[in-house]
Order: sequence, then structure tokens, then C-alpha cells
Amino acid sequence: MIYIAIILGCVIGAILGSFAPVIPYTYSSYLSIAIVAALDTVFGGIASVLKGNFDLKIFLSGFFGNSILSIALTFLGEQLNVDIYLAAIVVFVGRMFTNLAIIRRYYIDKWVKMIEKKKDVQNEEVENKAEV
Amino acid sequence: MKAKVTMAISIAFTALILTMVMFTQFKTVDETDITAIETMRETELRSELASWKAKYEEIEAKIDENENRINEYKAELENDENASTILENEVKEAESYLGKTNLQGEGIVVTLKDNDTRDIIHSDLLDLINELNIAGAEAISINDERIVSNSEVVLVNNTMILVNTKRVAGPYVVKAIGDKQYLQSALTIKDGYVDLIKSDGKDIEYYVDDNIIIPAYDGEQVLKQAKEYIEEEEEVKK
Repeated sequence: MIYIAIILGCVIGAILGSFAPVIPYTYSSYLSIAIVAALDTVFGGIASVLKGNFDLKIFLSGFFGNSILSIALTFLGEQLNVDIYLAAIVVFVGRMFTNLAIIRRYYIDKWVKMIEKKKDVQNEEVENKAEV
Repeated sequence: MKAKVTMAISIAFTALILTMVMFTQFKTVDETDITAIETMRETELRSELASWKAKYEEIEAKIDENENRINEYKAELENDENASTILENEVKEAESYLGKTNLQGEGIVVTLKDNDTRDIIHSDLLDLINELNIAGAEAISINDERIVSNSEVVLVNNTMILVNTKRVAGPYVVKAIGDKQYLQSALTIKDGYVDLIKSDGKDIEYYVDDNIIIPAYDGEQVLKQAKEYIEEEEEVKK
């Protein structure tokens, strides 16, 4: 059910986004930093699901809070003439890699365990045959 | 179950927003000519925009200034037109004074004739001109030769009189425009010009007229040596 919801949301979002008007280039940098922040939250959410400590409130607050905060920081940096958005990108992308690493390890562990299980089963069969 | 539905809706909503924003951004990036501006940072673009705006405002101010100037010129032009009509009138007046135009008006016509005993000489004419000028004559002619500032009345070879380098012969018709009363009384006053001429035994006739026509001076008046002298304004040095 959740997977269906995700796919549905993505499809509708893609359609809406395709028909959305083009935003000025000046503001597209804000949008891009918000996208990076949101993606970071999404990967964090997936990682937390895999860990088993997923919390919807934290996920949603992170999703919107990080986006808005990153936009605000970018705006502040613009006013201060400091590229604060670079710091935001470094942090978010760094965390994205961390979360991706967690996800990768989880699935690799799962895969390795699966192979080992298969081997165990085979070994047992071989032993059983030998006994027979 | 309810918690699961809430979660599904929330996550669907989140995914919707994320993908929507992403696709919008994809489209924006795709349609923006990034190659032209990718080397520029936003701040640079901003400052450039500001400078262009400043230039635009400057040019706009200049346009305003020029428009004001044009209006000023237009107003001045109108004034100039007034001035030119005034100047034209002045020129006409000056030309009339100088004898460049035909004139008509009330005045007196004096005719001097040679008779058997006495001839009219040039000094008679000069005296007459002087008398008429004293009486306020505005224009004088001798045999339709206009007397102007550089006109001469000379006797050449004791035989002929030249006026404006042209020979004039008797009868000498001297016309003068001016106040006819003044002119007449100036000539006919006791022991005046008429008496003098008559006592000399010369013939003189005169009559006043309301419509005397005096032709223009047809010679040339060219200033070759004379130049206008303008007093230089003394600069006050502090």
C-alpha cells in the first residue's frame, strides 16, 4: 500500500511538475537546494525504515523543515555575500551518502545472509545425502 | 490500519511535492540558457543587472533632460519668431531712414528754376536741403534723386550740378516729406529761404501736397573701411 502511494505520488508530481511554469533562474538555485534537502530527508527516511526506527513526524518535519531552512540559509548567504548554500549542499549530500551507505550495507548483508542460507541448505542436503 | 493510511497519504504527498519540484527544476534548467550564464555567479548577475538598471535610469534621465531642452528650445523659437518680426520691422524702419525704400506722405514740393538773369547754383540746393532738414523733413529728393547720408550736391566745372553722381538740371524739383506746415513755414518765414532766393532774383515755386512720393536711393552704400567698433567690456579681475 505504501509503495502504491509512493508511485502514485511520484507520477502525479511528475505530471504536475511538467506542466508547471518555468521559474526564473534567480529562484531556481533556491529550489535546487530545497530539492537536495528533501532528497536527503527521503534517503534518511529509507534508512530509518530499514533500521526500524522510522517516525512519520520526524520524516515530515525534516522534509519540509530542511527544505525551508536551506532556502532561508541560501537567502541569508545571498544577503551576506557568502555562499552558505555550499555548506548546505556539503552537509546534505554527505548525509545522503551516509544514508545510502546504510541502505547498501543493509541489502548487501541481506544478500550475503541469503547466500549463506542457501549454502547452509545445500550443505545440509549434501550431509544428509552423505548420511544416506 | 488508520495509522498506515495516514502514513501512506503523507508519504504520497511528500513524494508528490518532491517530484513536482524536481520536474519543475528540470524544466527550468532545461529551458534556461545556462551556457550563457553558467560562468557567472548569481551575485555577478545581480550586480550586472543593477548596473544595467542604473544605466537605464541614467539614460532615462538624459531623455527627460533632452525633452526639457527641446521644449525650452521650442519656447525660445517662438520667442525668436517674435523677435524676428520685431527685427524685421526694425530693419524696414532702418531701410526707410537710409533711403532704401520708396516713401510717400505729406510734404512740400519746391521748384527752383533758372531764369534769364540768374542760374540756380548748387549752394541754393544745399541751403534748401539744410532748411528742410531743420524743419524736420523725413525724406528729401532733388529731381527724384534721393538725398541720403552720403549724398553729395556738387558743382562740377561751374556748369553742371551732380546729385548722387548724376547730373541734374533745372528746373530743380525738390520734394520733401514731413509735416507740411512745419516745412512750409520754415521756408516762407520772413527773411527765410524763399525770401532769400527771391531777393537774389531767382525763381522759386512751392506747394504743399498730401501725397508726395519720393523714390528710393538707387546707389550702393558699402562700407569698405569702416567697421563696427564694439567697446570691449572690461573684465573685472578680483
